[in-house]
Amino acid sequence: MIGRVAWLLARPGTGGLAPLALPATAFAIVTALLLTVLGGAQSFWSWTDDMGVTYQALAVVALVLLVVPLSSLGGAAARLSARRRDDRLATLRLLGATPATVSALAVLESVVLAVVGAVAGVVLYFLLVPLIALIPFRGEPLGLDGVLLGLPALVGVVGGVALLAAASAVLGLRQVVISPLGVRTRQDAPKLHWLRIVVGLAVIAVAFGMMAVLQVAGSAMVILAMLGAAFGGTIAVLNLIGPWVIRLVARSQARRAKTPQRLLAARAVLESPKAAWRQVSGVAMTSFMAVFAGTGIALLGSFGEAADTESMLLFADIRTGILITVVGSFLMVACSVGVNQAASILDRADLSRSLGMLGMPTATMEAARRRSVMSPLRITAIGSAVTAAVVMLPLTGITIIVAPLSLAVIAAVLAAGIGVVWLGLVATKPMLERSASV
Amino acid sequence: MSSFVLEASGLVKSFGQTHALAGVDLRVRTGESLAIMGASGSGKTTLLHCLAGIVAPDTGTVAFQSGAGRVEVTALGERERSRLRREAFGFVFQQGLLIPELTAVENVALALMLNGMPRARAEEYGGGWLAALGLAGMEDRRIGQLSGGQAQRVAIARAQVTGAAVVFADEPTGALDSATSAEVMRALLDSTTGQGRTLVVVTHDADVAGRCSRIVDMRDGRIVGERVPAGASAEAGA
Repeated sequence: MIGRVAWLLARPGTGGLAPLALPATAFAIVTALLLTVLGGAQSFWSWTDDMGVTYQALAVVALVLLVVPLSSLGGAAARLSARRRDDRLATLRLLGATPATVSALAVLESVVLAVVGAVAGVVLYFLLVPLIALIPFRGEPLGLDGVLLGLPALVGVVGGVALLAAASAVLGLRQVVISPLGVRTRQDAPKLHWLRIVVGLAVIAVAFGMMAVLQVAGSAMVILAMLGAAFGGTIAVLNLIGPWVIRLVARSQARRAKTPQRLLAARAVLESPKAAWRQVSGVAMTSFMAVFAGTGIALLGSFGEAADTESMLLFADIRTGILITVVGSFLMVACSVGVNQAASILDRADLSRSLGMLGMPTATMEAARRRSVMSPLRITAIGSAVTAAVVMLPLTGITIIVAPLSLAVIAAVLAAGIGVVWLGLVATKPMLERSASV
Repeated sequence: MSSFVLEASGLVKSFGQTHALAGVDLRVRTGESLAIMGASGSGKTTLLHCLAGIVAPDTGTVAFQSGAGRVEVTALGERERSRLRREAFGFVFQQGLLIPELTAVENVALALMLNGMPRARAEEYGGGWLAALGLAGMEDRRIGQLSGGQAQRVAIARAQVTGAAVVFADEPTGALDSATSAEVMRALLDSTTGQGRTLVVVTHDADVAGRCSRIVDMRDGRIVGERVPAGASAEAGA
């Protein structure tokens, strides 16, 4: 029975194929990026000499920087896949379907979309492999053998993406199961506890402490673990604090708003600060990386020209690594903004159309939409950069963080990150115009 | 000055192979309440959309007469029609289609803010309309926290707050029970024809239509009949 209902629900609705294609595409990109990152890291792990350990330490940092936001993007794709259908599933609950049936349907649909997307992602990865194999590290290209993952890894990643989708579907639809009317009428007011900020500050303090004692830590493994935990913990904490800060600012903006677009934007953010955060959380990552990249490059420069050939090679490789991580992060940001904006426009198509009928200019709707993304973006970019600087402080010192080269790289990366979000908004503008046309 | 606020002539509108309007002539008198009835697909919503300048007919004309003069709606560009809808017309839809993240008073005030009124004044006016429609004390509630009837009264306030000369309502009671439906219809009539404004309602509900001063019946994109409901003033008519 569940299979038959799932098949009925899978038929394209008024939104066409987009509600199915969007999450599948997002899953494909997540899978391809994840495999690419793992492929690159795998090649580093094949080195067993002393320098190999240094490369592995740097790979851990890059992995943490990329995998955490990747999984957050994966979660967004999974939630999107679940949300696209929650209205229909809530209707099923109202019609008397049991919570078990609704959960099974949600999981089944999300998993099918995730697997289809993940398989497409594997194909995309195979197309990317020849290019990744050309990237030079330690004076020579990584090579196909180094970056090509084995079947177990491929199956593991596809399975992992499917699991992530299943878990998100269950969590995302808990509300439908508990209270179908809650979702159908959107009564739930967003709740964010102030305890988030306390936990967040505590984790940042711990990360700061870990960085301060990193130099005296014993084995390479301990250093690796501490680096990974500090960076991963800080990024995770940004996810905890981000929505809370965004809500605080949006509340004040809603009170002070004087124009329709400002009021609409602030209220849209307040409606779901978590969703507003998710749209721009990729930039939190980019800001974090901007500080990391800026100080890293400045630090390398400070070692001067007296370094030996091996060190010079290492410095060049670190620059390459930073560049790859930054580009990867931009890809995730672009993907995240595009997917979230397209989904949000589809979700509000009826409302946009009715506002168009009332005579609200599309330019006003567009301005409100742009502001509802760009305002949280500013808070996110600045807040994340400052947090990253605090965590990096014990490692590099303030001189390196405020060095002109650091600041230049930070500014350039932030500008590019904001530019990517802007492009995501511009790219989805025609969709809004179509959905608002009467 | 003509006593007709809207005059439509020879309206034809097709969507692909579907002929939604097949030559409609209609005149709407200032201050009357007109119900457009018909089965699904008869063209009544398309007629309302053409009268309100939401869609442009393939052929035919619509003219709007206001204190400021006569405007040929069908000759206006999209931008001007948008402005006309914002400033001279009000709309009430079946689902209300209010902005869920805004409070009740913000939804109403938004219509005024779009016309350039400062927010504080707009909310003051909006609050007044909500109170007049029996929603005093509910200004700061989100739309999801209101009942269907209350939400529909917020939509009526939004349609009225700009001082719209004509209010267009598309199945305004379609999603409500009969008691709430009667209550909403009373609020809609009191705030429109009760104040000398004009109301055009698309409905398939005979009770709703029966409260209006005139009914036109549509079938296959044409007006096939016109009547005055029992008890309504017989002076309305085209």
